[in-house]
Amino acid sequence: MRLLPLARARPCLSPSIVYGSSSTIPSVFRFSGSPVPVREDLKDAYAELWSHLAAPGPTLTGVQRLALSAYVRAARSGDTPPWMDLPWSLLTLAETLFVNPSHVDGPMVRRAADEGGEATTVEIISIVSMLSAVDGAHIALGASLEPLPAALPGDPTGRIAEGLKKRRTHVPMPAGAIPVALDLLPRVGEVFQNSFGPQYMTGPEMASYDFRRTPGLDRAQIEIVSSRTSLQNKCFY
Amino acid sequence: MLRASAIAFGYNLDIAAIRDPSIPVGVPNGNDLLRFVDAAMADSPDDLANRQTAIIETLGPESLVDAASVFGNFEMMNRVAEGTGIPISAQSIERMKDTIDELGLDNFLKT
Repeated sequence: MRLLPLARARPCLSPSIVYGSSSTIPSVFRFSGSPVPVREDLKDAYAELWSHLAAPGPTLTGVQRLALSAYVRAARSGDTPPWMDLPWSLLTLAETLFVNPSHVDGPMVRRAADEGGEATTVEIISIVSMLSAVDGAHIALGASLEPLPAALPGDPTGRIAEGLKKRRTHVPMPAGAIPVALDLLPRVGEVFQNSFGPQYMTGPEMASYDFRRTPGLDRAQIEIVSSRTSLQNKCFY
Repeated sequence: MLRASAIAFGYNLDIAAIRDPSIPVGVPNGNDLLRFVDAAMADSPDDLANRQTAIIETLGPESLVDAASVFGNFEMMNRVAEGTGIPISAQSIERMKDTIDELGLDNFLKT
């Protein structure tokens, strides 16, 4: 797998808005309103996702990535989303994936990729998906949503894998299961995979059908939550 | 995964409860967990508070955090699956045929 040189990275817009607090230090997750304390490894995992969202990505700046996060949050809450200088097809994909994921289909993703590029499309899928993880846990705990962090400065990294193909998929990816689905963007894929352990199970834990968090849920109870969530999202996965 | 883990723990799983939470699922407090997911999906504060209390009182506060984090994880995984269009292999579909039929998942298979 080779990476594109930095010179081939291209930002999609010229952002001028900074989202979140004035600090560039990632948020400390408070889970205000949660009836129970939240374990530290989960807070650390979400802080890592927040840092990732705030930092420049492969094709988008930190400001753009957080602007998109604010855009989809507004769309879900029924507020008028802030104006964004991104192609309509990319915004449609982002909003639909965040609010109504089962309505996303191949033509919708292809339109986004044709207009905005495959790397930017995958980056947007990753932003929306990671934000859904953090917001989903907050909603399930009855906690206030964590304010978005401040954007970190810098240009897009341009780190995009070359030579990957679509494998009956909407976007290029390596052969394999869903953990590699975002690997067109190697750093994004790495952050995605690192988030599994605290939220769900680590790789070795997944190999153990009698895994049990102590204290906490056993594997069967964990899979009941995952199965019902997927069913409610009308997602086969 | 659910069938295999239920067997590992010696639970008498009824997979139909995943589709209809009024059916006893056969996993300790599993129906509380199913209804918790529904309340989180509905963003219904009163119902959610009741479901949270049920989990805290029966499974403990750590289990509520586990349930919320798994819910969040699959909010993410479902969106990655839909956005990237990662396919389900023919072998997986064949292996899961009973579950697919039971839960009506064939409606969710996309080409």
